[in-house]
Amino acid sequence: MQRLSGRERILTALQRREPDVVPHMELWLNPIVAEKIIPGGSIEDLTESLDIDGIAYYTVSMEKYEVLDQSKGIIRDKWGVIKRDTGQTTPHPIEAPIKSEKDLESYVPPDPDDPSRYEPLKKMVERFKGERAVVAIIEQPFMRVNEMRGAEDHFVDMIINPDLLLQLNEIVVDHHLKVLGNFIEMGADIICFSGDLATKDGPMASPQHLEKFGISPLGELVQFVHSRGVPCILHSDGNIMPIMEMLLGTGGIDGLHPIDPVAGLDIGVVKEQYGDRVCLIGSIDCGPLMMRGTKEQVRQAVKENIRKAGKGGGLIAASSHSIQSKTKPENYVEMVKAIREYGRYPLSLD
Amino acid sequence: MSQFDKIAQSLIGQDVFRAADLTRVAIDDGVAAIEILNQGLLPGMQIVGEKFRSGEIFLPEIFLAGKAMKGAIALLKPAFQKEGAPSRGKVAIGTVQDDIHDIGKNLVIMMLEGNGWEVTDLGVDVHTEQFCSVVREKELHILGLSALLTTTEPRLKEVIDSLEAAGLREKVKIMVGGAIVTQAFADEIGADGYAPNAVEAVELVDRLLNK
Repeated sequence: MQRLSGRERILTALQRREPDVVPHMELWLNPIVAEKIIPGGSIEDLTESLDIDGIAYYTVSMEKYEVLDQSKGIIRDKWGVIKRDTGQTTPHPIEAPIKSEKDLESYVPPDPDDPSRYEPLKKMVERFKGERAVVAIIEQPFMRVNEMRGAEDHFVDMIINPDLLLQLNEIVVDHHLKVLGNFIEMGADIICFSGDLATKDGPMASPQHLEKFGISPLGELVQFVHSRGVPCILHSDGNIMPIMEMLLGTGGIDGLHPIDPVAGLDIGVVKEQYGDRVCLIGSIDCGPLMMRGTKEQVRQAVKENIRKAGKGGGLIAASSHSIQSKTKPENYVEMVKAIREYGRYPLSLD
Repeated sequence: MSQFDKIAQSLIGQDVFRAADLTRVAIDDGVAAIEILNQGLLPGMQIVGEKFRSGEIFLPEIFLAGKAMKGAIALLKPAFQKEGAPSRGKVAIGTVQDDIHDIGKNLVIMMLEGNGWEVTDLGVDVHTEQFCSVVREKELHILGLSALLTTTEPRLKEVIDSLEAAGLREKVKIMVGGAIVTQAFADEIGADGYAPNAVEAVELVDRLLNK
């Protein structure tokens, strides 16, 4: 088969067909690791240097924050959520802006057309357009509202104050529709909706609550993105197996990430049951293996991943969440190399 | 249905107002606070925990039941201040340094309190030295360590090693938990126990202290 570009590989995999080689990309890659692999280099530089097939832009981690207390890492995001940044992954919410209905009256969501929010995405598109897939990540309404209202209140509201949540969902959907329109206009090839719907034990809420407060607003957004001819990836950690039908029914998600092994998901089983309906992305252990494993162990894990889920296409090889600050740089380099080596179609791993 | 059963049912039904009303009525009827707790609230919360574990209810329901429980306990507080607060033992729990996830930890605290344990919430991003000084200064039975991130998992071992080095390890039993923690990892770092969820954390505490 002729050599495809990274963008073509990823788009082909999302259509559940075989590209020339199993594609690879990460949705989150810690800049510390990029810097260790290419001293002085950025994630963009690393993407080019390792010939990674796609690159992701995550509004939440790349947007500018209002710094409230530098020494403690306390910041306020554009939605008014006060967060702490410990430099590990994305900052974690510690105080919600909507404490009661009253706060809703004066609440102003961020400006979806603020050009400063799109600068990093624009740069990525300029550098990689046509060559590598540019993925724009936005939070699922469920996660966004969870942060606006505070985790415990968000859950309790599903029972005692559903109207407030529906109003918040509406604010988020209105905002997101405009942002998604901007993403697509600027040249994003793929949209990813991030945010967890499950813990490792199972779904966070009952199917009825998830449908009403999570899936229904998400479906509206997926439908919009699809109407513009752009594919969608859904990210959720945790054991999503009990709600898989509901997730796949969400306007026809094209890709599912990260097939969380910590929650007991086996990519081989998911491939067998759902591989004909959705492209699978992830599952290579980002924890002990990438942080402490040997290169040989990484190679074996990649081989296993492709053997289990690569057949017939529909696989984007990736870690089981992200490349985190404590990932051994040489393990990530080895992972990318092994994907190229074992991932050549037609596969011959059995 | 007895007065206690009704109180238990109000928690199972996650009815914040009914739990408060029934508790208030029981207090007015002269029922001892400790009986309201032991025969009404605790059995109710145990059933809530079981339903959560079996997948019958989810986070919204368990948090709401917890809210009902907290409201009822607040009403019992004045009586406890007179009679002396009942406690099966003392537990302190915190999320390790650089990690600020707390839903799991809060659920564990809620379930432990709902089962009669006196719990100190150390919060999130708790530094190793803080854990050591809590163990040094408080008469604790159990120290609980929570970590959600793969990058902060090594902190669990760091805390245990530091307690060892400070000669404090024998003072407490240590339990660990969090999304990335496994029984094998808990064994490897020398923790006394691991629980995969909040309900089993309660059972673990019971087991560790043989109660």
